Amino acid sequence: MSEGIKRRDFLKVIGVSGAGAAVTGCSTGDVERLIPYVVPPEDIVPGVATWYTTVCGECPAGCGMWVRTREGRVVKLEGNPAHPISQGALCQRGQASLQGLYNPDRYTGPMLRENGELRPLTWDEAEAMLAERVRGTAGNVLLISGHTGPALSGLLDAFLAGAGGRRVEYEALSEAPLREAARIAFGQDVLPHYDLAAARLIVSFGADFLETWLSPVEYGRAFARATAVTEEGAKGRFVVVTPRLSLTGLNADEWLPIAPGAEAAVALAMAGVIAGSAPDAAGPYGDLLAAYTPEEAARVSGISADRILKLAARFVAEGPSVALGPGVGGHHRNATAANLAALVLNAVAGNVGRTVQLQGWTGQGARPYAELQQALRGMSGAVVMVHGANPAYSLPPASGFREAFQEAAFRVSFASAPDETAALADLILPDLHYLESWGDSNPRPGIYAVQQPVMRPVPMFDGKQTGDVVLSLSTRLGQDLGSATFRDYLRNTWSALPGAGGAAGTPGSDAWWRGVLKTGLLTTGGAAAGDVQGAAAGQVGQAAGVALRTPDSALSFDLPELDGEGNEFTLIVYPSARLYDGRFANRPWLQELPDPVTKLAWHGWVEMHPEAADRLGLRNGDVVRVTSPHGTLEAPVYRYPGLKPDAVAISMGGGHTAMGRFADGNGVNPMVLLPAVVEQPSGALVHTATKVSVEPTGVWMRMATIEGSDDQRDRPIAPAVELAALSAVAGSAGVQAPGTEAEEAHGERMELNLGGGFVPVPTEGRPEDFPLPGSQYGEYAGAHESTPRWAMAIDMEKCTGCSACVVACQAENNVPWVGEEMVAMGRSMAWIRLERYYEHIDAHEAGDLDVRLLPMLCQHCGNAPCEPVCPVFAAYHTPDGLNAQVYNRCVGTRYCANNCPYKVRVFNWYTYTDVPEPMNWQYNPDVTVREGGVMEKCSFCVQRIRDAQNRAALEGGRSVTDGEIVPACQQTCPADAIVFGNIRDPESRVAQVVASERTYRVLDELINTQPAVNYLRKVTFHAVEPEH
Amino acid sequence: MKRKRWMVAAMVAAGSVTGLAIVQEQQPDTGAAKEQAAEAPAEVAPTGLQPIAFPHDIHTGTYGMDCMYCHFSAERSVDAGIPPVATCVGCHRLIPGAQNPEEVQKVLGFAQRNEPIPWVRIYKIADHAHFPHMRHINAGLTCQQCHGPVETMGAIEQRDPAWQGDNMGWCVSCHVERGASRDCTVCHY
Repeated sequence: MSEGIKRRDFLKVIGVSGAGAAVTGCSTGDVERLIPYVVPPEDIVPGVATWYTTVCGECPAGCGMWVRTREGRVVKLEGNPAHPISQGALCQRGQASLQGLYNPDRYTGPMLRENGELRPLTWDEAEAMLAERVRGTAGNVLLISGHTGPALSGLLDAFLAGAGGRRVEYEALSEAPLREAARIAFGQDVLPHYDLAAARLIVSFGADFLETWLSPVEYGRAFARATAVTEEGAKGRFVVVTPRLSLTGLNADEWLPIAPGAEAAVALAMAGVIAGSAPDAAGPYGDLLAAYTPEEAARVSGISADRILKLAARFVAEGPSVALGPGVGGHHRNATAANLAALVLNAVAGNVGRTVQLQGWTGQGARPYAELQQALRGMSGAVVMVHGANPAYSLPPASGFREAFQEAAFRVSFASAPDETAALADLILPDLHYLESWGDSNPRPGIYAVQQPVMRPVPMFDGKQTGDVVLSLSTRLGQDLGSATFRDYLRNTWSALPGAGGAAGTPGSDAWWRGVLKTGLLTTGGAAAGDVQGAAAGQVGQAAGVALRTPDSALSFDLPELDGEGNEFTLIVYPSARLYDGRFANRPWLQELPDPVTKLAWHGWVEMHPEAADRLGLRNGDVVRVTSPHGTLEAPVYRYPGLKPDAVAISMGGGHTAMGRFADGNGVNPMVLLPAVVEQPSGALVHTATKVSVEPTGVWMRMATIEGSDDQRDRPIAPAVELAALSAVAGSAGVQAPGTEAEEAHGERMELNLGGGFVPVPTEGRPEDFPLPGSQYGEYAGAHESTPRWAMAIDMEKCTGCSACVVACQAENNVPWVGEEMVAMGRSMAWIRLERYYEHIDAHEAGDLDVRLLPMLCQHCGNAPCEPVCPVFAAYHTPDGLNAQVYNRCVGTRYCANNCPYKVRVFNWYTYTDVPEPMNWQYNPDVTVREGGVMEKCSFCVQRIRDAQNRAALEGGRSVTDGEIVPACQQTCPADAIVFGNIRDPESRVAQVVASERTYRVLDELINTQPAVNYLRKVTFHAVEPEH
Repeated sequence: MKRKRWMVAAMVAAGSVTGLAIVQEQQPDTGAAKEQAAEAPAEVAPTGLQPIAFPHDIHTGTYGMDCMYCHFSAERSVDAGIPPVATCVGCHRLIPGAQNPEEVQKVLGFAQRNEPIPWVRIYKIADHAHFPHMRHINAGLTCQQCHGPVETMGAIEQRDPAWQGDNMGWCVSCHVERGASRDCTVCHY
């Protein structure tokens, strides 16, 4: 720039050329239109969000939601704080429901398949055709439905009773073995509910309760409470006994890596040890417990008898405790026995009625797969309708579903978007998305939540709510189900609910109904009169203990039989934390969300222990052929130390063939490797069923990962502190926890001065010190007195790594997805990255497990390395302490990203935001939709800060209160690990959390970045290596 | 000069600057910049573009109606609000319009057909800037300070010269005068 072009001229030139380019881009001759309402809706003010309550319809857990709409469009989903299940949080899959609503592949209306082609019909034609077919088969009607709310279930059953048909409920992820075990043990045909928050020792035999098991949001919150450090310095312990660590497993303090299928032996041995002192406690199971000595369990499981004895002793001494049986990923041929063993262990330890409540979940059907398998035989010549399930994908091909479905006389699908089952159907009657339709949920006795349409159905998709289709169908068939619309049917059902009086007004009146819709909830207090199941279960749950009953069926507690004897590896097929059973594969946010365990996105993988992989000479990304007696698939290897060396694991959810543009061709479907075996006596599908062989193919692929390293390499990125070293435990302030203020103090630091050169500044580098005295930041003089300093605290002790925050951030901030190829090139654009580091993980010996999970986002450094290198001042610091990124200034040099030590800045290489209609309807109008060539990163949800400030200014110029600004990540966090606020206010929650002795700031003491994001060290029971 | 011209071409060719800041200097002092500016098509809508020649001067000037009678959310929302057709009809069911009744007939036509009136947008700031109307109204600004003397205009089909499109300097000078924040993230996020 010495030849006379000054920096300012340079900027001018860039500015003008930008204008030129922009004008060429826009000069299409179109004019923008302002379209007013003809008649204004009462509850909509343009520019102001309207919120509605509803309930999440994605999985049977039934989390309550608050839905944010703008000008009649849904833009964001949040947890309903009043709802007892979700308690204000949502999981990653719930957050991504928006992409089901706005999925561009949804059916545009009812369709008939003729000669392999879909032909559009009118609803009238379609319903007439179906009525004709139902009449023609004289009652040979089968409805396969996924989990539905009580109102729709009731309607479907009433309709089918009239039409002479039958319904089979099928959920691919079924907890039938647990339910059957509860029935055998206690005579209660319910899924138990576990009070994890009350437990001080949680032993999971594989249940992935932070991912998919029963109710991940509720259990995630409870788990974080159970394991948090109390003021007295106590902390709950979590032990996993499983052959493969799921994300839930990675959160454990201790891992007993057992042989696949050895859960029952270990649980019975523990129960035997505990019952040794009081043999009566085991009731009819005394003989069984005597047979499973710790030595026998050690032989079966490969864990030393000492370890089992020690865990059994703790199970009583560290109570209240709770044992959780294997989840879906651990369903082998003896899964009911394994769940029963865990329940016996709970009973022997006196946990039933304390941490184990027998007033259970109503979510999952009784014998889900067995009933369907039976129904398959009767499909020939029947009218078969499928609603909310995709058995053509989620069942093993060996089940014969496809063949039996093809034999049906007429096949109907109610899928709103294409799936493999709908691809085989003759007639498609697209249901509305749950955000567009009426419904309800009853996740546990006493909890009823209403699901109301929160926007008018997306106009390009001419769907119709299945409840309304069924009512119309019943009218055509001459039935009278008492209501003209499903909304009326629902309202009538609700006014008859035993707890209907819980809302204000006369049940059934308009005022009452408005009140119900406003809260979205009726709680009937656990066991209200008339709620028969709830009342009965409630009484049992409150009893101090329940006597164990003699098993009424023959069960084997030994290692389960596996197919493919002679093959080297046991295949473990587990539900995906992102794609669940595969139903969410058409949501690009979830496809791009890195798997919380492997950090891989979009494509599939085969997990192998590094030792086994070394033996076969396999690196990460080497494609292998996995062969079972039932099928074969090819996928790249991912070397995972959290897995037994004699096992391989594959996630469910990939390998779709007819689910639309975002799902098809991504990943592999492990179901092709499985036999269609029914677990006895529960009737569930067996997922750990076979041994497989693994052969290299010689092909290597670049994996789409966001992981740089799984090792901290001696840098204190995610340090931990031993429980005994905390001052509350050590009992004196004299014991200095590692990395407390004294150690981290900067003393005097040289600060880059805007006027040129460096100036010495005395600082401890605390967030509230910003801006540092002496730093010459123009306007910021006096900012100390007048402005807040926004800061965040993230408690690593609570964070479970579930990644819900990542998806919530994408939804709130219009963060694009970029696709597999781009992720593989390191161009993922997520503003939050969940890092995972192994400290101690050993699949051979039982012992301490130490895995660090850390959400990494822009640290909003007070002394930010990105800011001085920006030639155009696009990266700069605001007076209130935000590291701001001004998109319209950014020219895309990427210097800032190169200089960021946290790698949290992401560059928009191409304009990824040009998404297919109507996905763009989801964009948050309060946040700029960025284009290519611009750097972006976490903004601390600055739009929410400004919104709160605007609101406060309108309300008489009051100041913003603590807790009024909640960033999207904090809002959705099931573990409540994130706190945001003004750290300069000593009364604020963030300031109080940050005052903890566990607080540290990543890399701060090394490079003096003075971040505003404060992490609280994870707390371990074992000694941790000193920090370097 | 040649050097600068080359840079402009390079930046445009690189294609990576579309959608960037459009912060023009008020008096571009390079020839290259003038050429670029001259090539830009007029940003104003041609006369007669509005579906109805709505006379702001009669409504607010002659009859002294409050702006917020029609732009109903300006003091409580980021958006000022475009009046629903029902608002127009509320009065014009009774008032035939002395000066141009044919335009009033058009309004009633839209109402009868249950159609919204497709107004052409005149005032627009760039997508990367946020202008919360309510903060400005509540700070005591009049609509005219930004939108010009609307009470003297007929159908609004041209931007007021004071507005000058995406002229950030014009915004900032007012913020400086009134002591409002000049921080970038007040508007840009």
